Amino acid sequence: MEYLSILGGRGRRIDEQIAHDLRIHELLGDIFGKRNDDFLRSLYLEQLDNEEVAVFRLNVFRDLLKGEVLDAVAEFVERVNKAARILETEKDAYEEHRIGMHVDAALIYTEAVETAWSRLRGLPIESEGLASFTRYLGEVAGSEKFRELGRRAREAAEARDQIKIRVWIEGDRIRVTREEHGEDLSALVDSLFSRFKGDGQGAEVKYIKTTGDASHIHAAILRGAFKMYRTQYDILRRFSEDFPSFIDDGIASFAKEAEFYLIYINYMKSLEQMGYRFTIPSFIDGGIYVRKFYNLLLAKRGSAVPNDIQTDGSRRIFVITGMNSGGKTTFATSFGQIAFLSKLGLPVPAVEAKIPFFSSIMTAYPVEEDVEESLSRLELDVARAKAIIERADSRSLVITNELFSNTTSDEGLLLTRLFFEELAKRGSYCLFVTFLHKAADLDGVITLVAQPSPEDPERPSYVIAPGRPPAEYMAARIARRYQLTYGKIREAVK
Amino acid sequence: MIEFDLLRTGAARPAAGADDLRRDLELDKIVAAASGGDELVAEVWREVLLLADSSPDSISYRQDAVRDALRNRDAVLGLYRIANETVDAVRRRVFLFRPHDPAVVVHEAVNGLEVMVASLRDVLAVLKSAAFSSEAFRQMSKSVLDNINDEFLASAQQLVKILRFENGVQFSVRIGELNSLEDPVLLVPRRGESNILSKVLRRDEYVYRLDPRDEAGAYILDDIRKWVLANAASTIFKAFKHLDSFFQDLRRQLAFYVGAINLSGYFEKLGLPAAYPRLSKGALKFSGMHCLSLSISAGSRPVPYDLDVEAEGGFAVVVTGANRGGKTTFLKAVGQSLVLARAGLFVPADEFALPSTGAVYTHFPRQEDRTLSYGKFEEEVKRLSAIVEGLRRGDYVLMDESFSSTNQVEASVVAEEVVAALVDSGVNVFYVTFLQDFLNRFLERYRERAVLLVPEVRQDGTRTFRLVRGKPTPGYAIDIWRKYMAA
Repeated sequence: MEYLSILGGRGRRIDEQIAHDLRIHELLGDIFGKRNDDFLRSLYLEQLDNEEVAVFRLNVFRDLLKGEVLDAVAEFVERVNKAARILETEKDAYEEHRIGMHVDAALIYTEAVETAWSRLRGLPIESEGLASFTRYLGEVAGSEKFRELGRRAREAAEARDQIKIRVWIEGDRIRVTREEHGEDLSALVDSLFSRFKGDGQGAEVKYIKTTGDASHIHAAILRGAFKMYRTQYDILRRFSEDFPSFIDDGIASFAKEAEFYLIYINYMKSLEQMGYRFTIPSFIDGGIYVRKFYNLLLAKRGSAVPNDIQTDGSRRIFVITGMNSGGKTTFATSFGQIAFLSKLGLPVPAVEAKIPFFSSIMTAYPVEEDVEESLSRLELDVARAKAIIERADSRSLVITNELFSNTTSDEGLLLTRLFFEELAKRGSYCLFVTFLHKAADLDGVITLVAQPSPEDPERPSYVIAPGRPPAEYMAARIARRYQLTYGKIREAVK
Repeated sequence: MIEFDLLRTGAARPAAGADDLRRDLELDKIVAAASGGDELVAEVWREVLLLADSSPDSISYRQDAVRDALRNRDAVLGLYRIANETVDAVRRRVFLFRPHDPAVVVHEAVNGLEVMVASLRDVLAVLKSAAFSSEAFRQMSKSVLDNINDEFLASAQQLVKILRFENGVQFSVRIGELNSLEDPVLLVPRRGESNILSKVLRRDEYVYRLDPRDEAGAYILDDIRKWVLANAASTIFKAFKHLDSFFQDLRRQLAFYVGAINLSGYFEKLGLPAAYPRLSKGALKFSGMHCLSLSISAGSRPVPYDLDVEAEGGFAVVVTGANRGGKTTFLKAVGQSLVLARAGLFVPADEFALPSTGAVYTHFPRQEDRTLSYGKFEEEVKRLSAIVEGLRRGDYVLMDESFSSTNQVEASVVAEEVVAALVDSGVNVFYVTFLQDFLNRFLERYRERAVLLVPEVRQDGTRTFRLVRGKPTPGYAIDIWRKYMAA
């Protein structure tokens, strides 16, 4: 039986500008932490084109999120990696060390396989990916070659345990003999001075070796030990000769690929501890129903406000208006991240998520100053709109932020209307963040508004909800407070 | 195990308001006289004088030991000198500048052990020659002599020699995971067979000699040596600390008695009487009691005070009188004697009997107003309420002009409430006050449980600075009014 990749398949790398707009690199920074793994990082930037692969992965997550399966897989991966690391380091080690490292790597590996197999086969596994791997594991564990490996490794370890030597370091000379009936010097000190009271607190001398355990000096001492214990040495040495390499290729691949899941589950757990939830998205045609989704980058600081978004698919353009700094961009970006994560086959930050399997995610966020000034800002916006329209289809997700803001509001509104018409023709989904309140009056759009805080109407609540844009701008409100209204100024100016 | 406790101060929790007590009662002057400049004596005295808890048993335990120390002056001073010199020598010879380098720790700790083992011989000699009679000193002496004999000293000296590791280190070791060496156990060295025999037995021994040019190897070998010594270093360091704390404890506990010996000499020089206080249920009685701090400052014997109060539960001693002479000094004298009594020391009086061994608190005026956000009265009340929080039946509260930061009428109401509540709660109050309303009402209400002391004025009008029993002076206001009206 051949190993079937637990990843199900691979995808295409996300466009760098879109990754930037959706702050994907920051997100990956949080997911990966200090870990530096190019293979994993590239996986996390590959959007899948094939919905089936995404579902394949999400099903693996479903299994893993049953705690026992996760424990078994995580422990297995950790042990196999540990064994592999030992085999890697033993290449540069002295023979005296190598023969032992080889035994330990084999012990860790065989125990990993045996444990994982006995645990996984008893668990209700439903995903194709994990079911297939469990069968594969069973085949490996049941093979005669594998059993012999385990038996011989244990025998070698037992032989090693029998070794006990006395080392005498005097000047530049090391003498090694068999150790029998030695008298513990510390015990002698203790028995003599324990008649004096005191808890000895703070007397702990914690020495951390600075030279490791695998130097030529250590090797020399081992050589002495092996000279005293010839039989045990022969058992250790023959193990290495008989089993030069032993990690199964399929198992090695699984250990590497499974990290894709494990690292994300770790990340989920860190946020779940703070009370945030994740859900496995389901892919539907037409509608969007996402409940209580939130921004992952804010969640780690505990300040994410959950929001809902929904449509039955008859209208697909959301116009998002409302007070400045009211969470409009965060809302749009968070939804974009959810779309992106779902296209990787990952659980998403929400309580419930039914969304289309988007064919593509496109963004148009404000750009930093174009150094060459080859195009005017307005032209640039239109060029971006065009690029979007060219690629958009009925399963595209378009997220724009203050697009067409580099002109008069009449002109901007006009461009917006035209843009919407094109998107509507193609049936694309769009989140359009704008301060043009009139855009909310355009035909066929869903209007969402950043809501003020109920306690203080001058502060945001970060809740984005369906509604009409506010009648008065915040800036006008503040102006009134300082007597800068039409009436007050008229009264003041005599 | 060697155990002794010459002080029996328990956990030695400092009393709440200890800083106020120290300042208000001028305890530093007394401590200075007792310590004669020895900082350790001063430290221990401050600790014992300011104890929050002091049981009658622990007081009589220390009283006996103080008497014993005065009788065995030479032995106590001799032991204190040995302990001091040992601690100092250890401090000079042991430098634990790298506490995580086992080789350094072992070397330095063994230096210390060597010094201290030698000193133990001297301690033994003094103890064998002394004739202690108090429980405290006899128990200490017995515990030491039971545990340390010549045989112990010989073994200890031999062990110190081994711990110098003049012939290198020997240890057992096993081979663990990844063939790394593990479980090193430092062993008592076996003599090396560096003769012809070792050559015959070559098969039983493997010898590796470091190449003289192998600097890395030498560094690693040193690392292994330290690693092996690490576990033993903890044990050796612990042994060092145990022995060190024996001398530290000994010297610390003796310091209290050295202070008593010093103060006794001071009493003799000033001609002060010395009485060992006794517990006398329901009565406070003293005669010929002096203010010790004033005596120390003046270098003479100041005015003595007498008092005899009988009252079950709490009582109040109220002191008033227009002149400045002696009222605060009286409060200090009472407070100092109470504090000394609780410590188990003698007091400067012909006789001293106290009804309880409760803690002493002072509520004296503060010169500077430290907290600006509160009024002066509020500050006073706040401070007093902090005292009240920790009060227990049988405690003593010494109040000097409390509540005088507001007008007499309202202050008296507060004072009456407070003092009556304290006395009814079984607290003993000494209150110097000018509050007329309070004096009249309170002393009338608490006739059975309060006394009034006033400065003595002789027939000829001269003042003695003594305090005598008095009566609240009746109001003359109406007389004066009439006098003026009549005019």
